[in-house]
Amino acid sequence: MFGRLVKFAWRSVWKNRRRTIITGLAVGLGLASMMFTEALMSGMSTHMISQTTMSWMGDGQIHREGFRETGRITLTVNRPDSILAMLEADTSVTAFTTRIISPASLQSTMEMKPVTMIGVDPATDPGLSMLEAAVDTGSYFSGDSTDLIIGWKLAQDLDATLGDVIIITAAEADSGLASSLFFVTGICRFGSDVQDRYSAFVDIGLAGSMLGLEGEFHEVALRLTDIEMGRDPALPIWSRYSVFGNSAEGWAELASQVGSMLNMVNMSMMITAIILFGLVVFGIVNSLFMSVYERMYEFGVMKAVGTRPSALATMVVLEAFWLGVVSILIGTVLGILIIWITSKTGLDFGMIEVSGVIFDSAIHPITDWSRLWIYPVATLLLTTLAGIYPGIHAGRLNAAAAMRKSL
Amino acid sequence: MTDADVIVTKDIIKTYEDGGVPVQAVRGIDFTLTKGEFTAIIGPSGSGKTTFLNVITGLDTPSSGEVWLSGKLLTSMSGNELSDFRRDHIGFIFQAYNLFPVLTVEENVEYVMLLQGTPKEERHEKVMDILGKVGLADYAGRLPSRLSGGQQQRVAVARAMVSKPSLVIADEPTANLDSKTSGALLDMMRSLNEETGMTFLFSTHDEIVMKRAKKLVVIRDGKLDGSGSIEG
Repeated sequence: MFGRLVKFAWRSVWKNRRRTIITGLAVGLGLASMMFTEALMSGMSTHMISQTTMSWMGDGQIHREGFRETGRITLTVNRPDSILAMLEADTSVTAFTTRIISPASLQSTMEMKPVTMIGVDPATDPGLSMLEAAVDTGSYFSGDSTDLIIGWKLAQDLDATLGDVIIITAAEADSGLASSLFFVTGICRFGSDVQDRYSAFVDIGLAGSMLGLEGEFHEVALRLTDIEMGRDPALPIWSRYSVFGNSAEGWAELASQVGSMLNMVNMSMMITAIILFGLVVFGIVNSLFMSVYERMYEFGVMKAVGTRPSALATMVVLEAFWLGVVSILIGTVLGILIIWITSKTGLDFGMIEVSGVIFDSAIHPITDWSRLWIYPVATLLLTTLAGIYPGIHAGRLNAAAAMRKSL
Repeated sequence: MTDADVIVTKDIIKTYEDGGVPVQAVRGIDFTLTKGEFTAIIGPSGSGKTTFLNVITGLDTPSSGEVWLSGKLLTSMSGNELSDFRRDHIGFIFQAYNLFPVLTVEENVEYVMLLQGTPKEERHEKVMDILGKVGLADYAGRLPSRLSGGQQQRVAVARAMVSKPSLVIADEPTANLDSKTSGALLDMMRSLNEETGMTFLFSTHDEIVMKRAKKLVVIRDGKLDGSGSIEG
């Protein structure tokens, strides 16, 4: 009997072809938009993480304990040679670079601005940051120790341009003040105020000698074999380098605002899912009730000839199941199509900055194919469950009342 | 009540609420239908025929009184018991839209047997046999929408009779048919009645049905207003 009810329900679903297709499209569109939203959010998350780690931070960093909180220039990485030797030998570290970071003031002929002076290693930094790629006027470090790269906003603030002389003044490690003369050789455009307005990049060698920190550094940025390693602070790599009074952290801890953003993204995904699935349920319930009311007489006859209320309810639930099947077929095909097209073309939001992360290129939705089944299965489950209420209603119909037109 | 009694009703009363006003549609009917009868209930519109038929088939519950069908007290049965009882003991023919539109002729006819759990082979055999009797053996695979009104009613007759119920209820079975088709349908039903001994109870306004009925029962204002047998 159940097999016949399944067949009966399938045919009943197609009795009103137009309504089935419209309902299938409505639910399918909801499903497709869920799949697309998740892919887009996944693409945005990946983009955020990638931007965070590729633009400057790396997949993780090593500092002297307390440096990140205080910024004191005396807090350089302890036992730097040992740390560098360990990094050289570590197969999970594909690249690393050292940096000196110090507050400083920049003085042009016109203006003076407070900035963070960052000493970078021109040989290794390109593997860890986008500084070289961000230089859009002038050139990257040429090997001359007086080279200075500043952001385009800082250049505007200082009224400085390529070739201009800039004097950098910073506190030495032994509490004195040191000043050096630099020439603007490159103007960069990161898209973030942190780099474009408040940072000045110089050769690490000169920064070290200027501050009395030769052979020392404040930060080591790491590139790892797997970016996801930066998400998990429990991995042994972080404890391995948290030695000698140093502290090693992955990007998730270093850029906690990114973690918060990702949590927010997940939360908004959940809210979107609840709203869309709610609409799906109401759509299905509405469609089934229309079908039940349209076929009142038919249900009356079914009851009259001996169909039990439970069998009638089962048939309506099965109709909901079939509506769900039609809907997920439409939705899955549509969803995959939309994701596939947008993953090829990307979605360009223009250059925007969110929580310090720059979206400077198109976002490409990313689908985790192993999760692709979740939304269609959830939709099918929900649509089937949505059939229970109209099913119970149909089961409880009074046969005589249902057929009143005839009997 | 004897073994030959298919339906016995005792002082059936059915009261409806219509806009808050109680309306007594059936006012104390005592009625007996015996095995093999071919009886038509007649009466003007609003006389209570429909309500009476609903009550005696368990489609509706009486406000008071008893309904005995094939020796069972219908008014004491639960919803599922009533469904099963109707499935096993009553065949229905309605005035129109009798058939499930998405099922083929064969599937429509075998539906009740499917509910009864009859094996597939037996179902097919019985369906083809009854379709042969109503002259529609060649239409087994068709959908009802591809049959004429008369053919659809013949399928309904086949469905009502295929599981050999003790009672066939036919409510205005000729209401949507022309007189020639109505006559042919009634002739077929009467010959099936004579051939199988199955009991038929009609509700009708149609003279064609009245002429072919063996007994007429008149209902007026919710009460029995006489009955009589017809020779022929």
